Amino acid sequence: MLTAGIDIGSITAKAAIVEDGKILGTKVIFTGYNAEAAGKSVYEDVLRENALYKSAIKKIVSTGYGRNSVKFADKTFTEIMCHAAGAYHLDKKVRSIIDIGGQDSKAIILDGDGKVKNFVMNDKCAAGTGRFLEVMARALEVDLDEFGAISLKSKKPSKISSLCTVFAESEVISLIAKGEKRQDIIAGIHESIAARVASMSARLGLSEPVMITGGVARNSGVVKALEKKLSMKIEVSPYAQVNGAIGAAFLAASL
Amino acid sequence: MKELTQLKKVVSHPYAYIRKYKKQTGKKVVGYCCSYAPEEIIWAAGALPVRLFGTNENIHLADTHLQSYCCSLVRGILEEALDKRLDFVDGIIFPHTCDSFQRLSDIWRLNIPEQFHLDVVLPVKLDTPSAKKYMAAILEKCRKDLGKALGKDITQAMLARSVKTYNKIRSLAGKLYELRCANPQIISGTDFHAVIKAAMIMDRDQYLKILTQIVKQLQKAKPRKTRDEAKRLVLSGSVCTHPDIYGIIEDAGGVVVWDDLCTGYRYFEGQMNEKIAPLKAITARYLKRVICPAKHMELRGRGENLIRLVKQSKAQGVVFLLLKFCDPHAFDYPYLKEMLEAEKIPFMLLDMEAELPPVGQLQTRFETFIQIL
Repeated sequence: MLTAGIDIGSITAKAAIVEDGKILGTKVIFTGYNAEAAGKSVYEDVLRENALYKSAIKKIVSTGYGRNSVKFADKTFTEIMCHAAGAYHLDKKVRSIIDIGGQDSKAIILDGDGKVKNFVMNDKCAAGTGRFLEVMARALEVDLDEFGAISLKSKKPSKISSLCTVFAESEVISLIAKGEKRQDIIAGIHESIAARVASMSARLGLSEPVMITGGVARNSGVVKALEKKLSMKIEVSPYAQVNGAIGAAFLAASL
Repeated sequence: MKELTQLKKVVSHPYAYIRKYKKQTGKKVVGYCCSYAPEEIIWAAGALPVRLFGTNENIHLADTHLQSYCCSLVRGILEEALDKRLDFVDGIIFPHTCDSFQRLSDIWRLNIPEQFHLDVVLPVKLDTPSAKKYMAAILEKCRKDLGKALGKDITQAMLARSVKTYNKIRSLAGKLYELRCANPQIISGTDFHAVIKAAMIMDRDQYLKILTQIVKQLQKAKPRKTRDEAKRLVLSGSVCTHPDIYGIIEDAGGVVVWDDLCTGYRYFEGQMNEKIAPLKAITARYLKRVICPAKHMELRGRGENLIRLVKQSKAQGVVFLLLKFCDPHAFDYPYLKEMLEAEKIPFMLLDMEAELPPVGQLQTRFETFIQIL
């Protein structure tokens, strides 16, 4: 059976098609101003790229902040449920998930059957999210995709002490003015995110194995900094950014 | 229901109601911020006790007096006072509870001289024999001080009448809680919240009449066949001034069936003995009622009460609504959490300020919590 998952996030909209437990295809586009239109077009894109007609898809689940604007979905689940389902389908042993998305970060604990046992979310603050990285990338004039690789060269990460994105940005600007190396500043930024996410997760009590999902999971620097802070090995979801959409498609199959 | 419409109007424009009420009746208005304020004595004196809930709009005046680690409730109340939005208040009464309210009391005394100001220095431990004697003495002092400030002798007869009125209101409110707990569909969470909140604002005799009508009508109401599968939740914490929370929970597939809030059930619970001296009866209630975490009774009293409420109301989970920077509640949270875990009662924590987190995020949190129940 073919099912689809659509995840409308704050920055990007994702779609995934799965068939009998196998991932057929995924697609990512920018959400932009209109979440409803983004949901439609990412769905149409993923169908076209996989040469599928709408009629082939039996069930659709939508998730993410824009989940309710996907009018053609059969059901909605929160992104927490979908990230849990996505991670569990990729690796049945996973017990904890850290999801760092565009506007929030979450830690999720699973039981042995892949059910969500508990979760935490950061609230109303961009620190520890993808948006924080975007702001810093702009200040440093570095492409965000290169952040991970650059930071791994750092021997001495800079100290970013401010938790507020706006203040941290001015801290970064003064570090640039002081002539600190770009790689050190970036590594410092990653440590700051890691500290934020780790302290949030610690309240919950993570158990291994831990998987990281969400767009920021693609940044190897953040993953490394988090592993250090948590003293745990972290498995990176191969579908980091589309993990929620994949989870939604899997949940659709069990409707 | 026209009674409900009336209450909702009062709750959405409380200050307009109070101003008009003052003009019409010539009564004095006494403000308070905490459910330990002995409002039975205020009402006995012929003044209107009004609970202050603060504001979340543009706090700037209060910030020149308070540190950033004060809760949004204290800041919001001070902001309104400094901005002269509370000019209808003739006097203010501060029972001794948490540190932030003690400081608010001092700032108030020094900066708002046009209102009379009373501190009621309650005991902190409530379960010792000396506390009982002390509580009685301090409430007697409150009676005298309040009488002096309002230019009235507050007699036994006046107190006895007030005790009767409060007993009736509280027992009816308890009935309302039971009715909604049995059939949450008969009144929406937002409307329920309005009925509860109006109890702290309106003329108590008028409120009693309206509440009697509402309870009578709800007793007759047949529950609609919806939301049968809604997950039953108990709210726990200090204050909840956000009617939106009830709606958001209902949209997420849950329903609030009980609470232990200072602006909720804790405000109503406990009857006073009408056969003994009224001040004694008032004292006894404040000593026996389930405590605020700024007070001390038995070590695990609040936790045991919460578990009892969950079981009695057949709730499936607990939502903690904690105000940011509220130390007393934050200090209690770990032990409450452990007790709930031991009982296998699921719970979630919402750390909030006068302003709620963005609705999208709230929905995600409530929906997930309800989906995993």
